Amino acid sequence: MADGNVNIDLLFRNGLKDYEVLPPPEVWNNILPAVRKKQKPFVFLRAAALIAVLLSLSILGYRWSREIIIQMQNPELASNEESTQYRNNAGSPGTAVKSPAVKQRASKTKNMPAAQLYSAAIPVLDGPSISPEENFNPGNDLLKSGKLFDMQDYSAVIQKSIFQAVNTKNKVKDDLKEIPYKELKEKTNKWSITALASPTYYMGRDRSVSDVADKMGISEKSMVSYSGGVSFAYYLTKKLSIQSGLYYSSVGNQIDGISSFSGFSPYDFTKGDHNFEVFTTNGIIYTENSDVFLLDRSGDRVITKYNNDVFDPAKANLSYVNNTLYQNFSYLEMPVFLRYKLIDKIIDFNIIGGVSYNILVNNSVNAHVDGNNYYVGKTAGLNSILVSSSLGMGLEYSLTNKISLNLEPTFKYYLSPFNMMEGTKTHPYSFGIFSGLSFKF
Amino acid sequence: LPDIKNIIKGCLAGNRRDQELLYRRHSARLYAVCLQYSGNDEEARDILQEGFIKIFENLVHYKHEGSFEGWMRRIVVNTALEKFRSNHNLYRVDDIDLIPEPDADPETEDYSGLEAVDLLNIIRELPPKYRMVFNLFAIEGYSHKEIGQMISISEGTSKSNLSRARMILQKKVSYSMGVNKKAVNG
Repeated sequence: MADGNVNIDLLFRNGLKDYEVLPPPEVWNNILPAVRKKQKPFVFLRAAALIAVLLSLSILGYRWSREIIIQMQNPELASNEESTQYRNNAGSPGTAVKSPAVKQRASKTKNMPAAQLYSAAIPVLDGPSISPEENFNPGNDLLKSGKLFDMQDYSAVIQKSIFQAVNTKNKVKDDLKEIPYKELKEKTNKWSITALASPTYYMGRDRSVSDVADKMGISEKSMVSYSGGVSFAYYLTKKLSIQSGLYYSSVGNQIDGISSFSGFSPYDFTKGDHNFEVFTTNGIIYTENSDVFLLDRSGDRVITKYNNDVFDPAKANLSYVNNTLYQNFSYLEMPVFLRYKLIDKIIDFNIIGGVSYNILVNNSVNAHVDGNNYYVGKTAGLNSILVSSSLGMGLEYSLTNKISLNLEPTFKYYLSPFNMMEGTKTHPYSFGIFSGLSFKF
Repeated sequence: LPDIKNIIKGCLAGNRRDQELLYRRHSARLYAVCLQYSGNDEEARDILQEGFIKIFENLVHYKHEGSFEGWMRRIVVNTALEKFRSNHNLYRVDDIDLIPEPDADPETEDYSGLEAVDLLNIIRELPPKYRMVFNLFAIEGYSHKEIGQMISISEGTSKSNLSRARMILQKKVSYSMGVNKKAVNG
C-alpha cells in the first residue's frame, strides 16, 4: 500500500508538473492598478529627489552662465561708467560749453569710451599752456578769463574735466583709506539655528543577512515616517560649518498576515510574561496586552502555546481586530554634521555629511481598529542606541540677510543594526527631503 | 526574448511593459497552481491576483539565487495558504462521496491514460483540508511537521488527512480510469 501511496503522489506530481491554464483577462486588469498604486509613494519620492537635483543644477547653471556673461561684458560696462561720469562733468553748469564746434565734438564723443575720449583730448594739450594751478583750481573759469577760444576753449574744458574726474577718483580713494579697516570688512554671522522637518521613506533593508530575514521580510513593508527638529550650526569658515542639534524621528514597519483578536484575557491562564511571540525582521515581538490573541495567516511566525490545535478564536467568540501589525520605533537623534558651501550666492548650495546618534525613546506594536491603535506589545532585542550616517545636499535660499529657506534631500544609512537578533541584523536606509527655515546671528 | 533579469529590472523600475511581460510569461503556470489549491475558479483567480501583487511588491528582495519560477510559486502557495487560513473556520471535512470501490490495485495500475486536466479536476474535488495537506506533502514536498505549523494542525492530523486524501484520490482516479476504459472499449 505504501508503494501505492507513492504511486498516487507521483501521478499527481508529474501529471501536474508543467500543466498550464490561461487565466481570465480580468485578472491582469485588476493586478495592474494595485501594483501601480503601491509603487506611487516610492516613485513620488524618487521624482521629488530628481526634481530637487535638476532644480539645483539648473539654478547653478543659470548663475554660472550669468557670471560668465557679466565678466564678458564687464570691460565695456566699466568704460561706459567712466564715460558717463565724464559726460556729467562736461555738462556741469560750471563748464557751460556753448560753442557749436564744441557741441559737435561733444555729440561725437558722447558715446565714446573714456579711453578714446581721453586720447582725443590729448592733442589739445599741445595748445596754449594752462598752468597746473588753473587746472586744479576749481574756481578758475577759463572761459571767463578770455585766454582760450573755440577749439582751445574746448580742449581746456575737456582737460579740466579729465583732471576733475581724476581728482574725484583720487579723493574717493583717499576717503576710503581713512575709513577704519573694521568697518570695511563684511560683518559675517557665525551661528545659525535651523528648524527642519521631513517625511522619511525607509527604502529597504539589508536583506542579505539570512534567508530567515528574507522570508519574514516578504510580508513586511516599511511605512512613510516623519522626522524633524532643531539644529545649530557654527561657521568655522565662511564655507565650512559644523552642525548639531536634536531631532525626533519615527520608523514604522507594517507586518501583514498576523491576525489579532481582542477578548482573550478570560482564557489567559499563563503565568509567564507574554502569551505570543512574533518573529519579524526587526526583532521578536512580545505581547504585553493579555487581552490580545495572535494568529499567523501565512506561516509560522507566531510562537505560542495557544496554537490552533488547542484554541480557536472563532469558537471562543473573540473579536477580530486586524490582519496587520504595526511596529513603531521613535528615536531622539543627535547629529554631528559638517556642511560645506559649494556655491555662495542668493541660493547657496551645500554638501552635508556626518553621523547621528539615535536614542530609542518609544517602542510599541499596535494593531489598528476603526482608526484607533490597539496595543499589542513591544519588540524585544532592539538596540537602544543606533549610529547612522547621513549624506545630503542642501539648497539655501536667502529671504533676508538673516533668514533663509532650506531644502535638504538626505540619504541615511544605519551603521548599527536595529536589533541584535541572530540572523536578522537589519540595517535600514532611508531617504527624506528636509525643508525648513534657518536664522543666522 | 528578453532575459528574465532584464524583465525583473524593468519591473523594479516600474516599467509597465516588463510587468505585463512577466505576467504573460508565468501566469498560465501559476494559475494552474492556484486551481490546484482552490475548490472554485473565483478563489483561484483571487489567489493568482493577490499572488502576483505580492510578487511585484517583493521583486526587490529576489536575489537571483535559485529558480525564479520556484520563488514565484512559493509566493503563490503562501497566498493560497493565507486564503485557506482566513477561510479555515468555514471549511468542514465533507463525507467521502459514494464512489464505487476501485477495481484495480493502485500499486500496479497504469495511470498513463489520465490527462493533466483530469488530475486537476480530481484534486479540486477533494475537501479543502485534504486538498491542502495533499498538495503541501505530495506536490510541494513539505513534511507533516511543517504542514502542521503552516495550517495549525497537529502532525498526526496532517498524516491522517493525507491518508484520507490519498484514499479518495485513488478511488476517483480508478473510477475515472474505468470510465475512460469503458469509453475506449465502446
